[in-house]
Amino acid sequence: MSTEEMVSAASEQLENTGVSDEISQKYLTFISDGLDFGIKASYISEILTNQHITILPLLPSYIKGIINMRGMIIPIIDIRIKMGKSPAEPTNHSCVIVLNINSMMLGVYVDTVSLVTDIDESEIAPPSPTNRQELVNGMVSMADGKTLLLIDCEKLAQA
Amino acid sequence: MDNDMDSMLETYLFETNSLMDQLDEILLEAEKSKRFTVDNVNEIFRIMHTIKGSSAMMEFDSLMTAAHRLEDLFFVIRDKGVEAFDEKCDEQLHHEIFNLLFEIIDFMRSEIEKIENSEPLTENIDKYKENINSYLNKIKAALGDGDAVEETPAAKAPAPAVPEPAAFVSPDDSPYYLKLKFEEGIGMENLRAFMVANSLQEEGLAFKYFPEDIETNPDTAEVIAHEGFLLAFKEKADAGKAVLLTREMGNISDFELIENEPQPAPEIHEETKASAKNEGKPAPSSGASAAPAASPAHAQQKQSLISVNLSKLDALMAIMGEIVISEAMVTSSPDLQGIKLDDFTKSARQLRKLTDELQDIAMSIRMLPIAGVFNKMNRIVRDMCQKLGKDVTLDIIGEETEVDKSILDGIGDPIMHIVRNSMDHGIEETVEERIAAGKRPQGRIILSAQHTGSEIIIAIEDDGQGVNTDKVLQKAADNGLLTKPESEYTHQEILNLLMMPGFSTNTEVTEYSGRGVGMDVVKKNVEKVGGVVSISSEPGKGMKTTLKIPLTMAIVDGMEISVGESIFTIPIMNIRQSLKVTADQIIQDASNGEVIRIRDEFYPVFRLYEMYNIPTEVTNIEDGILIWVETADESYCLFVDELAGEQQVVVKPLPAYLNSFNMKNAGIAGCTILGNGSISIILDIPNLYQMAQTY
Repeated sequence: MSTEEMVSAASEQLENTGVSDEISQKYLTFISDGLDFGIKASYISEILTNQHITILPLLPSYIKGIINMRGMIIPIIDIRIKMGKSPAEPTNHSCVIVLNINSMMLGVYVDTVSLVTDIDESEIAPPSPTNRQELVNGMVSMADGKTLLLIDCEKLAQA
Repeated sequence: MDNDMDSMLETYLFETNSLMDQLDEILLEAEKSKRFTVDNVNEIFRIMHTIKGSSAMMEFDSLMTAAHRLEDLFFVIRDKGVEAFDEKCDEQLHHEIFNLLFEIIDFMRSEIEKIENSEPLTENIDKYKENINSYLNKIKAALGDGDAVEETPAAKAPAPAVPEPAAFVSPDDSPYYLKLKFEEGIGMENLRAFMVANSLQEEGLAFKYFPEDIETNPDTAEVIAHEGFLLAFKEKADAGKAVLLTREMGNISDFELIENEPQPAPEIHEETKASAKNEGKPAPSSGASAAPAASPAHAQQKQSLISVNLSKLDALMAIMGEIVISEAMVTSSPDLQGIKLDDFTKSARQLRKLTDELQDIAMSIRMLPIAGVFNKMNRIVRDMCQKLGKDVTLDIIGEETEVDKSILDGIGDPIMHIVRNSMDHGIEETVEERIAAGKRPQGRIILSAQHTGSEIIIAIEDDGQGVNTDKVLQKAADNGLLTKPESEYTHQEILNLLMMPGFSTNTEVTEYSGRGVGMDVVKKNVEKVGGVVSISSEPGKGMKTTLKIPLTMAIVDGMEISVGESIFTIPIMNIRQSLKVTADQIIQDASNGEVIRIRDEFYPVFRLYEMYNIPTEVTNIEDGILIWVETADESYCLFVDELAGEQQVVVKPLPAYLNSFNMKNAGIAGCTILGNGSISIILDIPNLYQMAQTY
């Protein structure tokens, strides 16, 4: 699947999140530096590809810059650098997930988005004690054996 | 319903605040002339009455009681005759009444502020009640209580000229009348009648009512209690509807529908809904509005003002900005490149003209005269004169100058601070000092405002002792603010030290200025609205603080420049010139910086790509271009790759997420969206200079 298809498939699934029952929540999963992450779908405003990012000078390196989304100026953070990893080389899979966290718009630059999945809240385990990644506030084992790390959006919103 | 309540509260706050401002002005004027006029007293009485009524309606008890007490006080003064009061009361009593009034006004203001912040109101206001009562007793003693013969004809002015006779006489030739009677002894009949009229008007009924001056003339309460409240209708249907509606209302004991044969009628005044509502609002000048409120001229005024929620204006401004951008997007669309489109170009030009006009109008809606801010200073000067025992006059020039509302909100505090500074530190401690310096004994502060094309210039000037530069330098040295040897500081640089954070010339913190904040806060606040502050001073002659503020912050004329792949906007008002230079014109200075000599002056050259670490191929000074920019204090050159054209841009703030990184200090004021959808970063020329000093 190409990035375009993947994004549009994910976006479509996000739009159908109307009927989520109480215990299960929809999450969008994405890949960053080989790890699978999940973001609660309720935070997600949209997913953008091929967006030109305007660089702002003299900011910490994890802030990639700002974008213009229909007249709104939205800051973009590189989730890799934010987590203390090496910056991502832009590929044609890279995209920006625009989040609306308590009405603050924030874009997250990720390697690639994968899919939207239902996660049973009761299956979420606290992050492992050895986890020193403060942006992660939960873990879930997926059916395919992978482990999904859940992003704490409120933390992310704090610059 | 909640919405209704909110808008009612908003109206209440707006009206009450304007009334308080009006009251302040009247009192200051009266205090200056050391006497009350009949008009003054009537006006104060009317204001208090309105506040009392509306506060009662909104159930703000403390405000209602305070207003009620003041109304009582002025009732006595009016009753005994204003002239009698002015004559018989000695200076002490006169002095006391103003202090008492200002004290209560301050209390009422603080209560209003509490309402605005939805805090609980003060419950116990006995202190103020007592103060008024004891004062009342004093003036009663002075005026001789009981001898009501003192009444002068003028004191009766606000009473209705002719009380309505008991038998029904139709006041005009309307065919239908509805006569309402309120429950006996209910009180404030005039206000209740006004509420009835209001709610009927809101139902869309057209009618007149009698007595006409119920809102402004408290004496009508009596008339309504006895004679009833008359509503005059042209259409029977309206009258019938009104009957149905009034039946639902409380407190009405009786109503009667009267059909009337046409007959010669006395003069009637057109009273539209709007003007009736607006009666309580201030007329633009206090002088005019001090006229007896019941005068016919007042009622005839057609309503041409409406109050609009500021958020709607903000939204209008935002859309306006988008339209300006969209227009640029359409007319300079890359799709049109190289195509000759005569008709399109013509239409585009017309569109451009229209959007320009629309923009002018949209901006003018938000403009308010600066008088509101300036007049507040009267009160501050008055209070401080008393506290500090100084004699200072405040002259106001150009109060009609109009400024954008958002700017107006931002400059009130800075101006107040500077005026306080002038009062506290500027004007000499004693009259003797002034006389010794060969000045008029009375100190003078001049507050002026004027337009200059795209800017408004506000100056606060005093004729005090001026800035003692030695002291300032010493103080700055003590606080470790100096960055070079003392002897190298120029006069202007020393004055600029006043605006450094953590600087305050007075060693003791006084009640008014000081308080740990100083001119640095003033500077910050003014910069927030895009302005600059400059200070000039001559020892012994006084000090002048000038605020230069752009007329509007939302849209600026900018020059687009590019550095590497980034595009920046420099406000045109900061640009002096752009120049191509050759390498030999650039001189290396001692600290390895670059300077350029233009017309016998040296200006530093900063390379934007170096400051911002932007990769670019244009590093040779001869390949790029120099932009010579200037601010109030500094003038310097920026080296950029190339000019990309002039454009009107809409300033957008940077996302809130970036607030903690203090982009302003990095020389970035905001950003804007260009015609092709890309983002341009707006440079903040003064801050960019500061940053260049430190990088």
